[in-house]
Amino acid sequence: MANKRNAAIFAALIVAAVAGILVWRPTVIIYGLQAAGLYASIAIPMGLILGIVHIVNLAHGEFMMVAAYLTYMVCTALGIDPFVAMIPVALVTALVGFIVYKLTIRQALKAPELNQLILTFGLAISLTQLANLLFTSQTRKMSFGYVSASLSIGELSFGVYNFVFVAIAVLMVIGLRLFLTRTTAGKAALAVGQNPKGAAIVGIDVDKTYGLVFALATGMVGMMGAIFITRSSIFPAVGSPFTMKSFCLIAMAGIGNIPGILGASVLLGISENFLKAFRETRGWADIVFFVLIITVILGRSIKGKKA
Amino acid sequence: MILEVKKLQTGYGKLQVLRGVDLCVGKESVGLFGPNGAGKTTLINAIMGIVKPWSGAIEFEGKSIAGQATHLVARSGIALVPQERELFPGLSVADNLELGAVYVPRGKAIKAQQLEIVLELFPILKERIKQYVGTLSGGQQRMVAIARALMANPALLILDEPSLGLQPSIVAEVFDRLSILKKDIAILVTEQNVRESLKAIDRGYVMENGAIVIEDTAKGLATNPHVLSAYLGI
Repeated sequence: MANKRNAAIFAALIVAAVAGILVWRPTVIIYGLQAAGLYASIAIPMGLILGIVHIVNLAHGEFMMVAAYLTYMVCTALGIDPFVAMIPVALVTALVGFIVYKLTIRQALKAPELNQLILTFGLAISLTQLANLLFTSQTRKMSFGYVSASLSIGELSFGVYNFVFVAIAVLMVIGLRLFLTRTTAGKAALAVGQNPKGAAIVGIDVDKTYGLVFALATGMVGMMGAIFITRSSIFPAVGSPFTMKSFCLIAMAGIGNIPGILGASVLLGISENFLKAFRETRGWADIVFFVLIITVILGRSIKGKKA
Repeated sequence: MILEVKKLQTGYGKLQVLRGVDLCVGKESVGLFGPNGAGKTTLINAIMGIVKPWSGAIEFEGKSIAGQATHLVARSGIALVPQERELFPGLSVADNLELGAVYVPRGKAIKAQQLEIVLELFPILKERIKQYVGTLSGGQQRMVAIARALMANPALLILDEPSLGLQPSIVAEVFDRLSILKKDIAILVTEQNVRESLKAIDRGYVMENGAIVIEDTAKGLATNPHVLSAYLGI
């Protein structure tokens, strides 16, 4: 009873806070949601890998960076739009992901978690340095007219392009949910995530499932890399903050809770943009996620102690 | 013969557990008894490809399956009900049962029919069909594990300690169901509960220190002085 009442009070406080900010500084909510869409759509594939393969892929953001460079090369060479290049780039990144899984991750699945972390951290460094060698550390940018599309409501004017990330994040959650609960392959993937030994004894090829899930997730983040370049300039280290933020969001949502990543992203996006709304606190926006992750971890351990 | 194990040796790391095991199962139900640590589960794990054999042969329906990957052994027609059940707790009873059938060719072909049979065998699962398996009681989970294995329409059903952790009334129920099954499927069952299982089997082996020490019919085992003193406390 007390728990339910507390949750209701907490929810009411959040609704009140959001409504208050919406009236007072509507752009905080708008840009907050847009940022949340970007964070969530990059974090969701990482959550998929962690939930099923049980690997923290510290090279997650770097896969996005690689896809962004790939998109840059394809689009400048052929003169096509990243939204056209997105599908082939996603397929190539998925293939790279599958090969990386077979050559490296697979060998470390039975190793202690620390070895897995060092492995994916090493992968991240290798990919970043590879990009450094091939493309130098100079930033690259592509400009598209549609990115600056804006909308005016009364006196309020804001960019709308970034809502594309919100749409992608929501589609990813719905798509994954349908795949995991309605298809045999999806159910098998969930089964492997919950009990690999049990999955093998009913005839599911666990290794193949891990490989396909890893490829699916890297393909998804590859698609995000293609879209990412439409709004941001890229450089070899562009991916690593996204690895950190994705991990933070997954930790906040709880492992295996993919819809929860949406909620956590909204919290992160709005909090960051709230600080950015004031000149004095603008520089502090980047530490929001540290504060959030510390709060969540502390909260969990206190809750764990009580239980 | 459906299953033939010849001179099987295996273990974990440098520790040898099985020291030349010979065992066969025809169209019958066979019990495998022995104290904790005798190697019963290791033998089953070796048959299922969970532990790789060091030497010896394992043949299923005339083909060697020694050292094959677990999922391939399962697809060839051997279904296992492990000691720890190994279910998918976050999936519904229906999904657990479906996954039992769809990756095994001989189960997939008659999926709907098998579902009807197992739900008739375990009516409680019909009531819980949409419930997450993790929310079921231990006894009900054991039934899901047996039902999931049957969904594969196996030629050989292996049960590792099916009565472990169950209350006596449910143990009787499980063995009751096994007696119904043994008309159609070859069964290999390991048990500590020798008294109950002797009623359900045709033949049995007693294993000690990684080797078979007695092989006899159920009737023979029930009157064997060693079995009586060591396992039935008489």
